Amino acid sequence: MTRELLPTATPARTRAAVLELLRPQRGLAFAGFAVMVGATAVGLLTQPLLGHIVDLVADGRAAEAVTTPVVLLVAVAVVQGAATVVGMSLISRLGETALARLRERFVERALRLPLEQVEKAGSGDLTARVTGDVSKVTEAVRTAMPELARSTLAIMLTLVALAVLDWRFALAALLAVPVQAHTARWYVRNAVPLYAEQRVANGAQHQQLLDTIGGAATVRSFRLEAAHAAQVTRRSRAAVDLTMRGVRLVLRFYSRLHLAEYTGLAAILVVGLLLVRDGSVSIGTATAAALYFHSLFTPINSALVLLDDAQSAGASLARLVGVADRPERDEPAARGATTRDALPDGVAEHRAEPVPRPAHAGAPGEVVVSVRGLGHAYEPGRPVLADVDLELRAGERVALVGPSGAGKTTLAKLIAGMHEPTAGTVRVDAAAPHGVGSAVALVTQEVHVFAGSLADDLRLAAPEAGDDDLRDALDRVDALAWVEALPDGLATVVGDGGHRLTAAQVQQLALARLVLAGPPVAVLDEATAEAGSAGARVLEKATERAIEGRTALIVAHRLTQATTADRVVVMDGGRIVESGSHDELRAAGGRYAALWEAWSDSREGAR
Amino acid sequence: MGGSGRDVLREAIGGQRRDVVFGSLLGAGHQAGEALVPVLIGVAVDQGVAKGDVGALLRWLAVLAVVYVGLSFGFRFGARAGERAAEQAAHELRLRIVARVTHPGGGAEAGRLPGALATIATEDAKRVGAVAMAVLSGVSAAIGLLVGAVVLLTTSVTLGLIVLLGTPVLLWLGHLLSKPLERRSEAQQERAAHASGVAADLVAGLRVLKGIGAEAAAVARYRRTSRDSLTATMGAARAEATQNGMVLALTGCFIALVALVGGRLAAQGDISLGQLISAVGLALFLLGPLEVFSWVNAELAQGRASAARIAQVLSTPVAVAGGGVPLPRPVRGEMRLRGVGHGGLRDVDLTAAPGEVLGVAATDPADAAALLRCLSRQADPDTGTVELDGVPLTDLDPAELRTAVLVAEHDADLFEGTLRDNVAAAAPADADLAPAMAASGADEVARTLAGGVDAEVSEGGRSLSGGQRQRVALARALAADRAVLVVHDPTTAVDAVTEARIADGIRAFRRGRTTILVTTSPALLSATDRVVLIDAGRVADSAPHADLVARHPAYRATVLA
Repeated sequence: MTRELLPTATPARTRAAVLELLRPQRGLAFAGFAVMVGATAVGLLTQPLLGHIVDLVADGRAAEAVTTPVVLLVAVAVVQGAATVVGMSLISRLGETALARLRERFVERALRLPLEQVEKAGSGDLTARVTGDVSKVTEAVRTAMPELARSTLAIMLTLVALAVLDWRFALAALLAVPVQAHTARWYVRNAVPLYAEQRVANGAQHQQLLDTIGGAATVRSFRLEAAHAAQVTRRSRAAVDLTMRGVRLVLRFYSRLHLAEYTGLAAILVVGLLLVRDGSVSIGTATAAALYFHSLFTPINSALVLLDDAQSAGASLARLVGVADRPERDEPAARGATTRDALPDGVAEHRAEPVPRPAHAGAPGEVVVSVRGLGHAYEPGRPVLADVDLELRAGERVALVGPSGAGKTTLAKLIAGMHEPTAGTVRVDAAAPHGVGSAVALVTQEVHVFAGSLADDLRLAAPEAGDDDLRDALDRVDALAWVEALPDGLATVVGDGGHRLTAAQVQQLALARLVLAGPPVAVLDEATAEAGSAGARVLEKATERAIEGRTALIVAHRLTQATTADRVVVMDGGRIVESGSHDELRAAGGRYAALWEAWSDSREGAR
Repeated sequence: MGGSGRDVLREAIGGQRRDVVFGSLLGAGHQAGEALVPVLIGVAVDQGVAKGDVGALLRWLAVLAVVYVGLSFGFRFGARAGERAAEQAAHELRLRIVARVTHPGGGAEAGRLPGALATIATEDAKRVGAVAMAVLSGVSAAIGLLVGAVVLLTTSVTLGLIVLLGTPVLLWLGHLLSKPLERRSEAQQERAAHASGVAADLVAGLRVLKGIGAEAAAVARYRRTSRDSLTATMGAARAEATQNGMVLALTGCFIALVALVGGRLAAQGDISLGQLISAVGLALFLLGPLEVFSWVNAELAQGRASAARIAQVLSTPVAVAGGGVPLPRPVRGEMRLRGVGHGGLRDVDLTAAPGEVLGVAATDPADAAALLRCLSRQADPDTGTVELDGVPLTDLDPAELRTAVLVAEHDADLFEGTLRDNVAAAAPADADLAPAMAASGADEVARTLAGGVDAEVSEGGRSLSGGQRQRVALARALAADRAVLVVHDPTTAVDAVTEARIADGIRAFRRGRTTILVTTSPALLSATDRVVLIDAGRVADSAPHADLVARHPAYRATVLA
């Protein structure tokens, strides 16, 4: 499958998005900035005061004379400290609030992305954005951004202060700028591709470790220890080598910064000497200038180093904005009736036709889902579904049967609205329960237990449900007994890091969610396949009860599911090849009859 | 292997001794240079600027240039050696962890999630490695401190003592002030981290959410978590701002104190103007090395915690120990269980004769799992023995045993690489893979994939459907060509027609070699010579599939659901 990563915002769009996020808090931004300018400016009084003490000494004044500037030094320290507390608090409130807004919008849009797009991008893309990129931006907002702001302010105001002492000092200090600017550009130019390479290598190393460690039992069984050790060594070595290349680059960067420091410092001292000699400044002022420049080392270095963090945070931000910027999509399934169809040239189009209807739509026998000329291809030129027509009537139970790769799962996904068809239409004539969510629910083999309490997990399907509703739903799928036996019952924490549930229990939970969501149409895809035979029977019963009163399409893996269905639809090669009741199809002697024979033969013990 | 965290740390850093010592020396040079810069600024102002002596200024600028070259060189090559040591130590630890996890005796991954182990192999290894850099920085900073102290004390004992005693007190005060704030902020950070966990969890369950149309509910839940987290982080940020401001104010007051004492001494003529400037500069400089110490402390604490975690993995006892008896060659392939008790199994006796295709059907999947654990020597039975050709498995080296006996688990992982790579993983070099692929139905999988046998299998095989994955894994097991093959439920996600074909394929492919099929699939069981039924942990019956179907109700219930 060709990878098609999720969108990334352009630099211009990213900047605009940041401004949009900050706009509601213009006042806060302004106040924070003003207070920080004040704090930095007050702090810059330190050097002239020290210079003043030098002058007092040079003038041969009495020892008591130094008391006044020292008291002022203390005052400066206290004011600067207090202003910093206020300023930093304001700035982090600004940053954190904007960050919260961004991540909320990101998650909202991410959860509403069409599944097709997420799958095309590879499941790792979205996960990496929601974990790696969000934490990178968070880190930047929390540490790099305030630090960078402080450093930049310190640098600019120090240059101003140097100019106030004498404009020629500022000029001397600026001698270092070309070296620094050139160094910074050189560094960013080299570092950006190198860090991109590093990220790839680290990702590959981590994937390899997960592969090897997660598959340790398999590695042992097949005696692949040596091969895997070699692969881990290779990947780890590659990551280490790239890290060292990065280290060498950073260190050369520092070397050049040392050169800039020296250039500026020497220039300031020389200018100081000339100015003192012609009497335009005092020794104390020259000292203050030298101290100013010396105190610039730290902010300049940290600002230049932070460029790096800013760069990578910027890349992460662009990846977040890329998703957060997606236009909010209508949720067509939430409407009364839905049509998913495709234009002849393969461009999918939504068309919603609001038809007011009660929640449990359809008198018995009425068509609820109608599929016309449906076709689908995940990759152009490799159709997996062609020209499928199918109708589901209210309350009908239809089993979808066929060999692996026949297109059963794809058809199920299209009907459930997970994918846009490349040809044809799916029309659903039923209202979503409570007017929200979807009229069609899909339960697949892919299960997930959401981290948190069991009740919270279930409430994702029905946020308003009370504990009794939850218990009813669990009871309906025969799960109430084991849930109540859990250490904290419904409040037991499950999912990642919580109480471990068995595969069958997880599947029952999925069915309970289906009951709670209460959709008129349910699509079940191989929901019982991997639970083991004994568990499978429990689940089959639970499934029966979960779909009671609904129109159901069941992708049947076990043919027992087909025998109890109202109608069996047989698929092969992406097409529907047979349709009818179990008995009719058996008698017809076609594809289904052959499947049934293969299956029941083994059951009768005949070889 | 392993030992305590302290041992792990010592070995890891000791292994990089040369780089650490070399880097420390250079780093010390750098710190000494940094200490000299403010001193030289003072001297240059005193001798050159104050007196208007161009020659003297240029001389001191030349000295400053030499110091700069030295400190720059020392930093560059010292830090390089330190980083090299850190990376190399982490790399070696990583390999040791992987070697332990894949050790034939097993046991290291029990009770640990793969993700957690991978994090130990990356993050914790990195933190232990970083201790090399911390040690180096600590040594360098100590030297820098020493140089500064000597210069100060030779200038003026009073001023020197104030600075030398004052700086640690200052840092200690800052630390003290921040302690309660830090504790509070840590708890808050933890709550903040929770939001990112919730987001990742919701994204991981995206398909489930979409399946039941629960996106809106999920968004609402995330928004609540995010708002909670925002409140928590704001508290943490305020605490941090307060700490920053206090440290800033304290530092300023300290400089004022040095200026007061130094200014008075200079005014009384006890020290020169240059020495006053140097002292103020040094007082500011000394905060640097002292801050390095507290950073080194934090790094060491983190390194120790990480080393303890690594030591725990490395020192996990092996689940099964090796024996010294060599594997009898050639392997005839007789597997025999005598009175085996393990998990739910009670007193299980069963024998697979050389060349037999034996089915094992367990009414409880847990019993099947326990049996597989014993056969693959992931665990040894609590009672009784498992024997290969009459030799108890406990007498054999587990690695050597696996060259003769392969247990292909139903949830076996595929690895990154092509379809062909996966099938060929354990096959003899130059083996023809076609028969194994055909027998397992993997040839059909290859035909449906765009790249055929060269299609990339990614994300642990998740790029394939369940049925495709099973067939490729089965092809790999068949291609490995072991004397004894135990296969567990290889076709649960495969359709009935293909399953019947695979059953015949396995039988034909394994002709003449012992094969045990642990399954409840009638299609597979009907292709065996004989089936052993395990009910309630005990062997309940043993007969060909058809006979068991005819005579045993528990068997019918299990197999013919």
